[in-house]
Formats: sequence, C-alpha cells, structure tokens
Amino acid sequence: MSLLWLRLAVILYGVAALAVLPAALYNRPRWRHIALPAALAGVFFHFVSITETLVAAHRALPIDTHETLSWLGLLLAVAFLVLAVRYRTVSFGIFILPVVVLLAMVPAFRPGHERIDYPLIRTGWLMLHIVSLLAAYAALFLSMIASFLYLIQERRLKQKRAESKRGWLPPLETLDQIGLNSLRFGLPCMTAGLLIGSVLALQTIGLTFFADPKVLLSFAMWIAYVLMIYIRSNSGLRGRRAVYLSSFVFLVVLAVWAANSFSAVHRFKAP
Amino acid sequence: MSERKSDNGVGSMPSHLKLLLLGVNHTTAPINIRERLAIPTHRLADATRMLAQQPGIREALILSTCNRVELLTVQDDGAMNDILDADEAAPMLSMVHFLNEYLQVETADIQPHVYEFREREAIRHLFRVASSLDSMVVGEPQILGQVKQSWTVGREVGAVKSTLDPLLQRAFSVAKKVRTETQIGSTTVSVASVAAELARKIFGSLSGKTVLLVGAGKMSDLTARHLIQQGATTLLVSNRTESRAQLIADGLRTPSITTGVIPLDQLHQQAHRADIVITSTGAGQIFTPENARVLLQRRKNKPVFFIDIAVPRDVAPEVNDLDGCFVYDIDDLQQVAMQNKAVRNHEAEAAESIVSREVARYSDRLSHSSSTEAIKQLMLEAETLRQHELTRTAQQLARQPLTAEQMAAVDRLTKSLTGKLLHAQIAALRDEASDGGTED
Repeated sequence: MSLLWLRLAVILYGVAALAVLPAALYNRPRWRHIALPAALAGVFFHFVSITETLVAAHRALPIDTHETLSWLGLLLAVAFLVLAVRYRTVSFGIFILPVVVLLAMVPAFRPGHERIDYPLIRTGWLMLHIVSLLAAYAALFLSMIASFLYLIQERRLKQKRAESKRGWLPPLETLDQIGLNSLRFGLPCMTAGLLIGSVLALQTIGLTFFADPKVLLSFAMWIAYVLMIYIRSNSGLRGRRAVYLSSFVFLVVLAVWAANSFSAVHRFKAP
Repeated sequence: MSERKSDNGVGSMPSHLKLLLLGVNHTTAPINIRERLAIPTHRLADATRMLAQQPGIREALILSTCNRVELLTVQDDGAMNDILDADEAAPMLSMVHFLNEYLQVETADIQPHVYEFREREAIRHLFRVASSLDSMVVGEPQILGQVKQSWTVGREVGAVKSTLDPLLQRAFSVAKKVRTETQIGSTTVSVASVAAELARKIFGSLSGKTVLLVGAGKMSDLTARHLIQQGATTLLVSNRTESRAQLIADGLRTPSITTGVIPLDQLHQQAHRADIVITSTGAGQIFTPENARVLLQRRKNKPVFFIDIAVPRDVAPEVNDLDGCFVYDIDDLQQVAMQNKAVRNHEAEAAESIVSREVARYSDRLSHSSSTEAIKQLMLEAETLRQHELTRTAQQLARQPLTAEQMAAVDRLTKSLTGKLLHAQIAALRDEASDGGTED
C-alpha cells in the first residue's frame, strides 16, 4: 500500500511540475492554483507512504539509497511549499519539482533491495543524523537554485528587456535572502548531522571510522559550507561568483554522497 | 454629435426601461471642452441627484474624470418613445440640456463632441470603461476606482437602483476578470513608473531604501516622488547649488520621509549610502566604472540602481557591466515603457473578447429575466380571467350547483384549456428572448 501512496505522490508532483511552468513563466494564477495544491497533496501522500513503510518495518530510518532519495525528495517538496508561502513565488518549482519527481519516482517504481544491518537502526538518533544531513543538502540545493535565478534576473535587468510587472522571477534582493537564509538554515543541520553521526560512530565503531575517506570528505564538506556562508555574509558575494561558489560546494556534497559507495565503514550492508 | 450608436435590440431591460449613455472623452473632445464639463467630486452627488430628477429618467450615474464625463441613465420607454416620435435625438438632447443647465456650457459647444450609446452598446461601453480599455493609457487602474466612486455616490443619492446597480456590479466583476485573466495592467508605461518598477525588481520592497537625487529637474523630481510613493524612506539630494538642493529636500520631506543634503564635492564619499541614484545634471560622467567600483565595495556589493535622466549622460554606460550595478538611461526607460505599451495593446485584444463575451452573457441573462417576467404576467392575467369565469359560471348555476367532483372536473378543464391557449405565446416569448440575447 505504501508504494501506491508513493506512486500517487509522484503523479501529483508531476502535475505540479507541469502546472508550475505556466504559473511561473506566464504568471497564470489559474495554474498556480493547480501547482500548489497538487504539490501539497503530493507531500501528504509522500509522507503517508514513508510513515507507513517505517511503521510496517518497525524502524525509524531509510535503509536503502532509494528510500533515502525519497526522503530528500519530500524535504525538497516541503521547501518548495515553504518558499511559495513565505516569498509568494513558485519560480523555484521549475527546478525543484522535476528533481522531486525523479527522487520519488525511483523508489516508487524500482524499490531498492539493499538492506543495512546496523544495531542502531531503530533509534531516533540515527534518524536525526540522516534527516539533518538531508535537510542540509536540500538547503544547499535551494541556495544554488537561488543563486542561479539571481544570475538570470541580473542578466535580464542588465539587458533591459521589458517583461510583465510581476515577472517570473522574484526580485534580486529576495533571491539573495533566500540563498543566504537557506545556507544559514543548512549549517546547523549539517553540523548537528555530522556531530550525531560522529558520536554514534565513536560508540559503535571506534576511531577507525574517522580514517574513512567518506567521513573525511564529509568534514571537508562542512568546512566548505562554513566558508561559503562566511564569504557570502561578509563580502556580499552575489551573482556569478555566488553561483560558482555554490556549485563548488554542491560538487563536494555530491562527492560525499558518491563516496558512500566506496566507503568501507559507512555502508552497514547486511550480508 | 461625434458618434451615434443605435439600439442593437438588447431587449434586456424590463421592457418599459431603456439604457442610454452619453458622454465626451479624450478622443472626442479637446481639453477646453472636457474641463468645462468636468464635475468636481464635491458636486457629484448634487449633479447625480439633479440628473435623476430630469423628466423620463428613472436612474442615473455620472462618471467624471480628467479624461471623460459620462452620463448613464435608465429612461422610461414610454417617455422615450414619445420623444423619439418627435425627434430621435431628443433623449440625448435632454441630457445635453442638463449639462447645459447644470454647468452653464453652451449646447452648441458640447454637441459636436458628444457620443451616445444605447442598450447593449451602452453596456459594452460601460464594461470597456471599467476595464480600462477606453482609457487614454489602456490598462491604467484608476478608472475602476472612479467608476466605483460614481456608483457609491449614485446609490447614496438614490439615483442608482434596481437596473443600474446590478449592471455596475457586473461591470466591476468584468473589470476584475480582465485584470486577472490578461496582463493588461501588469506593465507600467510612464518613465517614472518604469523606473520604480525596475527598482522593485532589484530590491523587492522599497521600504527602508535610500534614494539619492543628483541634480535637479522635473523628471528626476517626479521619479523620486514615485519611488517615495512606492516606499523609499530616505531621500538625499546633491546639487551644484546647495540652497536649491535644500529646497528640493524640504519639498519632498514628510513625517515618514527623512531627507538630507550632500554637498556635490562629497558626492563620491557618500553615494554608497544610496540604493537608488537618480542623476540629472547633464554635466558629463559623474559616475565612472572606477568610482562605481569603489561605491560597490563600500556597499559590500549590495546592488545599486542608477537612473540616469541626464543628456549628456551622468553615468558611464560601462558601469552597467559591473556586477551589482544597474544603469538605465532615459532612452532605456523610454524603450521599456514603449515595449510595455505594446504588451498592453496586445493584451487589450484578449480583454476585448472577454468584454464581448460578458456583454452577451449579461444581455442574455437580462433577456431571460425580462421574458420570465412577461410570462409570469401573462399567466397571472390568464389565471385571473379563469377564476373570474369560474365564479361567473358558478353564480349562473346557483340553482343547480355542481357537485364537488363536477367542479373539480371543470377546474381541470379550464386549466388545461388556458395552458394550451397560452403555450404558443409563451414559446414565442421565450424564442424572442433567446434571439435577442444571442444577437451580437
């Protein structure tokens, strides 16, 4: 049944992803009224699906990559709704919703068979570790989109092209705020995620855990994240340079994610 | 009379009432005529009341703006027909006469500029006016507020009643539909408003933003006022003559606006305080890429918007190439305004079809309600007649009264006969209504 809810959520996200195009690009309120409820309903069924899976399996966290991707998709969909309410913009949906569809589609139609065997699988701490890091990734993704949209809006303004009063992009200052606030939200999430993970690893694996390249890359990622916030807050980095910086940190995050496949100690695979 | 639209056979009003609209606007009358006909807001109630008291006029509304004066009336068909027999232009003349009486303007001066719309065309015109399709600047939002004000006044003085009230309410909903379903009002078309709009695209809300006015000029002053209206809270003025700068600053100061003067020789030291810089000195390039770069550094790369109204330009065009600097000169602003006008004209076509659809729908609805009234009336008359005949027959048979069963049979028989006799007439009335409603 949980797969059915997830598939329903994928369809709803798909509808929202399509409806958001005329809503954002051509300022059609009617489409906005389709995109937002569809995304909200998608989030609801997605949440139901995840909860049902966890309850049925008597565990508190995702146990394979596909499930983890689905959680990330849910967080991104929630972020889209938060932005739509807080900043009254659906422009981010052009980029976020297709990613959400992909992230939810994989576990909905090709559920993973990978299983992890870890003693803390039923603890809330491990779930907090995973959710915090996923939230940090989602925040970084948002920040990158905000920087990218900033670049587009900046170009449009510099090219002096006429467009509708409402435009499809939020004002530059709003985009800058969204980018910076996302990073500021992501930093404590990432810090908490890494700290919790480190403490749990120390308790169960010991110091050898910290010699793993995946773990080392994770700390490098944290440093890059902190540096990015420092640079953006202090020098007022915007536009192209902000996009470059966000893209660099995003690449580091992708490397950390990919390193999971090569990690000797961070996989917890069942035999 | 400059324009005359005949009755298109809306057949929409209660059959004895007719809609007539008469007016002058910016396309039919020069300003010297319009200003003589304009009715100030404080006299609107009085004028509306007087118009409604004219012979044959049941309801009235006056719309008076800087670009138009229009009288919308509901007239008694009987009275109108009497006059029409004598002279088809008479109802119009009576309204011109009102203007002449009330405003002391010669009839001969007004008449060549007056246009007239009746019935369906009057409805269409009202919908177009409320939707800002008949405005000098198509899509401007003020007209709807002005129509609403006239409607409020008309209701207060009892001149807008059961016919005009729903018509005006429909006009408001059509205007709203036009605004939401098209982009007619979504672009700005004056240089000052284009500048303010661009500032909003950079800064979002202008609340708390600082505007620096370099030089003095009408256009820069107007743009600064526009930005202040949009929420900018601090105004700095820098001018070659400091006393003039002080004068401008004082002129724009309000309890919510902080103003200040920057001596021209300190301009580059203090320009970083401003988010928006309006220049109009024409003294050559005050802002070069070098000092714009310094300005940006002092602002920690926060964006700055240069509105260069001067000719020759005060801001080097290369400044626009710097990240965070946005430079619009007078040509850029005018070009955006023109592009926006083109967008509005394009959207106006879509808006016209909405109006046409709504006129047809409204006329249809009224046609049906009018025919329903006529059918009700016909059935009532027939029933009265039937009851009368039944009573008469019962009296004639008083010596040999019918039994209750026989009476019931007679009742059924007369009802059935009445229904069958009326059927053709009712069908004809319904056909007539639907023909009238669909006619465009």
